[in-house]
Amino acid sequence: MAACGKGLDKFMFSLRLLRNLQLQNERFLSTSVCRLAVGGSSEQPPKFTPPSKPVIVDKTQTVASTRSHLSPEFIPPRQRTNPFKFYIERKDMIRRRKVLNIPEFYAGSILAVTMADPNASGKMNRFVGICIQRGGHGLGATFVLRNIIDNQGVEICYELYSPRIQQIEVLKLEKRLDDNLMYLRDALPEYCTVDPDMKPEPISPTGEVPVNKLKVRMRPKPWSKRWERPKFNIQGIRFDRSLTPEQMEHAQKWAQPWREYDMLKEYDTSKLEEQILSEVQREMSK
Amino acid sequence: SRSPSHLVGCIRTVKTTTWFDEHLTEDNQEYMRKTTAEEYRRQTAEKLNPLKDEPWQRHEWTEGSRRVGLVAVKLGMVPVWSKTGERHVVTMLQVQDCHVIKHLSKEEFDGHTAALVVGGKNVSPFNRSESQMEMFRNAGVPPKQKVTTFKVSDNALIKPGTPLYAAHYRPGQYVDVTAKSIGKGFQGVMKRWGFKGQPATHGQTKTHRRPGASGPGGDPAKVFKGKKMPGRMGNVYVTAHGLKIWRVNTKYNVLYVNGSIPGHKNCLLKVKRHTRASLCMHLFMFVCFPVRECASQ
Repeated sequence: MAACGKGLDKFMFSLRLLRNLQLQNERFLSTSVCRLAVGGSSEQPPKFTPPSKPVIVDKTQTVASTRSHLSPEFIPPRQRTNPFKFYIERKDMIRRRKVLNIPEFYAGSILAVTMADPNASGKMNRFVGICIQRGGHGLGATFVLRNIIDNQGVEICYELYSPRIQQIEVLKLEKRLDDNLMYLRDALPEYCTVDPDMKPEPISPTGEVPVNKLKVRMRPKPWSKRWERPKFNIQGIRFDRSLTPEQMEHAQKWAQPWREYDMLKEYDTSKLEEQILSEVQREMSK
Repeated sequence: SRSPSHLVGCIRTVKTTTWFDEHLTEDNQEYMRKTTAEEYRRQTAEKLNPLKDEPWQRHEWTEGSRRVGLVAVKLGMVPVWSKTGERHVVTMLQVQDCHVIKHLSKEEFDGHTAALVVGGKNVSPFNRSESQMEMFRNAGVPPKQKVTTFKVSDNALIKPGTPLYAAHYRPGQYVDVTAKSIGKGFQGVMKRWGFKGQPATHGQTKTHRRPGASGPGGDPAKVFKGKKMPGRMGNVYVTAHGLKIWRVNTKYNVLYVNGSIPGHKNCLLKVKRHTRASLCMHLFMFVCFPVRECASQ
């Protein structure tokens, strides 16, 4: 065993491949290996137990391949534009994605972005924060990261397809109860503080994205926007801590219950999404 | 607009125009549509073939000569980043089926310069008048939605029927784009001319968006002609000058032009070279993309 230590790595890899590809009978393999070990030839490796470390999964590649997710900026808004314009924009977006890996993330995930900056030392600057909003369509798609540094709240709006962005890392992939977390500006600072040296958490390649059902506690009113009003439809705030039931009822005066029945405001994107998703996956795999 | 005396004898007649397929049977309608589509394809294919069609002679470029422009369709706006990282917004213009339709010589046009009539997007022949159709038929080209004239110097004349493509322009050149601005209808003086209006409170009685005074007092004792007043706004030809071309996509004939452009999405525009010496990048070769290279695309 010790004599064949050098060749172990190479043959370990090839053996593992053989096992995976050919799906041979284990007993057959192990017995053959035993026999060879008895023979003592230097080409075949002797019987060894594989180490119990986990298989190294390339997280950036596997996540995209197993969970099919279409980034929201690919879906065109409902406008009177020629679909050809969206097609050309999509081609440019895919070209950029082939160079820079833009991972899947949602509002509420924690990201680290390295951007090229001529004025920074080392020419790059890195910012870590919670994504509070994803906006824009096409090449101008943006996302806003928020963090609290030295008791000062900082929000930076990055453009996904800007060539100045060198790397986007998802440190923690999770969803929240809302798509837009702008209310974190009026929440207690503990909910926005993200450690700049946070280590990336392992992301499961299959299954649903975990939803964090956290209800955030707010600072005393006045807030930057009246988040209790039904037009924002916020699920992620603990209103009972900051508002009385009378105030909640008063906010319901601005409810527009007829909007859910308005057929002209419906925009069904399911078929479009499928088409675009298949097109994007095809182009990315080329 | 006519003066009142002309209107005295005019009686409003009932117009009897209908759409082309109202009195045709269904098979005939289908047949008409199919034949016109096939004819279009045949016509465009003909024009691409250099053997059938002898282009006119290409001349050398001289200082002060003018080239034809293009007719393009406004697609939408996208951001574009330069190599240094600056972000600019550009409008995408697609050159769809741009053909030269007619050549007007100096005498026909205005006595000073020759002109070329260029047409844009293909459109159905059923709603065009006979005189228009005659012009298109002479050029051997399907009827176009927008037809414009470009003043052209003598050494830049092109044979009617030649297609024009986006490769006519290179990145770094400057263009003027003319289009009909979005019609806003009858608008008040604040939106139309940018007047300040009056305050919302502090006792203003029913006066918040009115023009206010209309001129000086007793001496002229009249309102001058051209006084800015409410009226129809928009739907007029507006030109945006000196727009830089950032990118040209020759496969799909798309031009990426700096900044915003008048007109709504999918409207037809007239694109010309910008002639201010400070901004011109002189291309020392001439005229459009030769027909042979167009066919190989």
